[in-house]
Parts: sequence; structure tokens; C-alpha cells
Amino acid sequence: MKKLKYYSKIWWLLTRNSFSIVLGQRVALLFFLTGKVLRFSLFIGFLYFLIQGTNGLAGYSGNQAIFFFLVFNLVDVLSQFFFREVYRFRPKIISGDFDLTLVKPTNALFVSLLGGADAIDFFTIPPLIIATWYAGSLFHPSILSTLYFVLLIVNGFLIAAAFHIAVLAMGIITLEIDHTIMIYRDLTSFGRFPVDIYKQPVQGLLTYLIPVGIMITFPAKALMGLVSGGGILISMFIGVLALFLSFRFWNYALKKYASASS
Amino acid sequence: MNKYFQIFKISFQEEFTYKINFVMWRVRNVFQIIVTYYLWDTIFSAPGREVFGYDRAKIMTYIFTLIIVRSIVLSARAVDVSSDVAEGNLSNYLIRPMSYFKYWFTRDIASKVLNLFFAAGEFAILFVILKPPFFFQTNIYVFLSFLMAIVLAILIYFSLLFIISAVPFWAPELGWGSQFLVIIVMLEFLSGAVFPIDILPGVYQKIVMSLPFPYMIFFPVQVYLGKITGMSLIQGFVISIAWAVALYLAMRYVWSRGLKEYQAFGR
Repeated sequence: MKKLKYYSKIWWLLTRNSFSIVLGQRVALLFFLTGKVLRFSLFIGFLYFLIQGTNGLAGYSGNQAIFFFLVFNLVDVLSQFFFREVYRFRPKIISGDFDLTLVKPTNALFVSLLGGADAIDFFTIPPLIIATWYAGSLFHPSILSTLYFVLLIVNGFLIAAAFHIAVLAMGIITLEIDHTIMIYRDLTSFGRFPVDIYKQPVQGLLTYLIPVGIMITFPAKALMGLVSGGGILISMFIGVLALFLSFRFWNYALKKYASASS
Repeated sequence: MNKYFQIFKISFQEEFTYKINFVMWRVRNVFQIIVTYYLWDTIFSAPGREVFGYDRAKIMTYIFTLIIVRSIVLSARAVDVSSDVAEGNLSNYLIRPMSYFKYWFTRDIASKVLNLFFAAGEFAILFVILKPPFFFQTNIYVFLSFLMAIVLAILIYFSLLFIISAVPFWAPELGWGSQFLVIIVMLEFLSGAVFPIDILPGVYQKIVMSLPFPYMIFFPVQVYLGKITGMSLIQGFVISIAWAVALYLAMRYVWSRGLKEYQAFGR
């Protein structure tokens, strides 16, 4: 409990600093916020006109397709909000500034992963939650479906955390990959649409090996009552397994760390 | 001319410095194509289906042609110009006996040649694996029109990139923000790289087609498909040329004003 309080305070301090930096550049904040809102709006517009012309997608109705996209955004934006520090990690390794993180009396993974929430996404999360809640309410889900949905959203967030930890570990092990985090973003972009649109073996790979399907499609399906109890248990198991393996990978990577500075 | 050839050679070799980095960049491009391919494959899964004026062969040709057109038009090293301006590194180039625009254009060409080479390989591999119905353009006049559209697309993109990269002259902190808004978001959606513009209703199509973005991807691909002919083709080229000229003149003007403001922050 004491440690939880300690790290909550650290997170609050780091986030406050991060917010101060971003809010100090209001015009830049406006550009990025406009870009994110525009990207979201343009894609929703594309989905709307697409489904108008095709009368559905992979057996799903227009509302369902849009709900899949909203859930994708929810998981994606929540991950970006909490894990924004991962995008700033590689320059620290190259410059040797990661040494300064290691010598501090805080867990290096905690600071590298959660060391500064994204102020821009702070503004986009509330309307996104409202839009997702509204779109989900159109399916008149049962209490159990809603519970499964929330459980799988949390599970999806844990898988996203596992991905980000793996990206951090890769950033230590190899300096050659500039944009490992962007590869993760490209992989999760497969989840903009229900994974049913992909043929096998791509569908299987995306569901179980690179569990984008479990992260994004399954929560949406759970709300629609399309996922069984067994499917939910398997999803939770894969989520926990992914997190466990990512921690092991991080610990392995730390042992390989060679500082770039003296 | 020799100095630009040397720049081309060095730039070409520089791309191979971080080989894994380059390979992952190409992998990312392939991921984007795969998502788009499966989306439209699902929509056109029913035999003989026609939607938005496309049949399966035409839409698959659109997607696969995107691989080549994107690699030629949208691969550009000139995205680094804004950081040169913001960090004061522009000073290094201003004192050199060469045109800054020609320097970056040469580097862009080197990047495009390399990306085209790899895109051709990706095209071949994906073609063998996915076996899409593909329309090969055999009309030489249509193909030449396609090449001309590509050249104009390259010029439009180069000028647009430089105009956006000039923002840091006045606001160094907005370098990446302005690129994100215009190049990453607006260009991706409005150029036809995510979806063909003609799936939009008429009034929205007209608005988008009056902008320069669709003339970078959508227009060249439609020319290749033979979907734009006769007066529409001429009209498209007139608009494309007008945008290329207008953006070039805007680029020269904005840069001349920007250089007067330039203070080499960070040096």
C-alpha cells in the first residue's frame, strides 16, 4: 500500500511536469489536437460513406463497424495517454541519459513507461468515452456483456502495456530500430476493423500471436454478446502471459544495457 | 551537376547505414497495404460485385498501384528540413555553393529510387502471395499520361513539404506539429492513400478535388486505371499543373520571407 502511494505520487509529479511542458506551448498543442480530431473525424467519415455504399462490413452493420473503430480508439488513446514516455525513451538511451533514470530511487521501468502522461490525449479521452458509451448503448447490452466489455478493455490495456514494455526493452538491446513504437502502432491499426475481415492465417496471427484481436476486437464483440465465457478466459490468460513475458524481456534487456556516456 | 550527382550517391548510401531501420520502414508500408487489401477484399468478396464504380479487379489494381505510387511520390528526405530550420542547422547549408532546394530535391530522388526498388519487390511478393486480379495498362498513351501525373505529383509534394517546413522560421516549436497536421493527417486521407476519393458523395469529392492532395496519389492512379480520359484528363492535368506552379511560387516566396526571419536558434 505504501509503495502504491509512493508511485502514485511519483506519477502525479511526472505527469504534472509533462502537462506543464505541453501547456506552455499552446499553439503546438492546438496543432496536435486539431490533427488528432481531424484524423478521427476523417476516418469516421470514411467508414460512414463506405458502409452507406456497401450496406455493412464482414457481416457487421454500420453501427457495429463504427463501434469497433471507437473501441480501437479507446484502447489506442488510453495507451498513448499513459505510455507517452515510451516515445521519448530511445533518445535517452543514445545520449546516455537513461543512466540518470537508473540511479534514481524509483523503478526504471515505471519511469520509462509511465513517466509523463500525454496532455493532448487528456482532452480527447472524455469525448471518446462518451461516444463509445453512446454507440455501445445502441446494442442494449446486458449487465454481464457490459462487465465482460470493461474486463476485456482492461485486458486490452494490459496487452498494450506489454507491447510498450517490449518496445522499451528492444530500445535498449538494439539502437538500429528508430521507430519500434511506430511498428506497434501499425500492428494495432489492424484493429481499426474487426479482425474477421482478415483471412487465415493473418486472422489467427492477429488474434493470438500478436494479440491485436484480443486487445481491440474482443472487447467490442463482448459488448455485442459475441464472445463466450471460454473466449474471455483465454483472452485474460493471454493478457497476463503477455505482461509476464514482457517483464522478463525488460529484465533481460536491462542486463544488456551499456551506457553511452561516462 | 557533378556535385548533385555526388549528393545523390552519398544520400543513396546513407539509406543503407541503418539497414534494419530501413527494412522496418518498408515493413510498415507493407502493413498499411495489407490492412487496405483485406478491407476491400472483404467488401468485394461476392463475385461480380460493383461498388462506387469499382469492381474487384479495379479496386485491387488501385491498392497495388498505391504501393508503387506511394514509394515514388511520398518517400522524401525533405521531411528533415523543418528540424534543420528549428535547430539552426540550416546555416551549414546557406554558406555552401549550392541551391538548398536542389540539394534536398536530389536527396529526395535518391530516396525515391531506393524505395521504388524495394516497393517493386514488395509488389511482386504480395502479388504472388495474395494473387489479386490486376489490370495491367497496355495503352502507351495512358501510361505516358500516368508518368506525367507522377512527375507533377512529385513536384507538388516537394513544394508542399518545403512550405510546411518553413513554419519553424516563425515558430520553431511548430515544426513537427505542422507536419503532423498537414502531411500525416490531411495528406494521408485527402490524397487517396487510404481510400479512393470517388467513394465520397459528389459535393465532398468536388471540394477535395479542388485541393492539391488528390493530385499526389488519387489522380495518377485513376489515370493509370484509365478511369479519367478525354476532357476530364485534360482538366485534371490543368489543375495539377496549376497547383504545381502555385505551390512552387509559394515555396520560393515563403522561403525568401523565412530567411529574413531566420536567427539560427540552437547554434
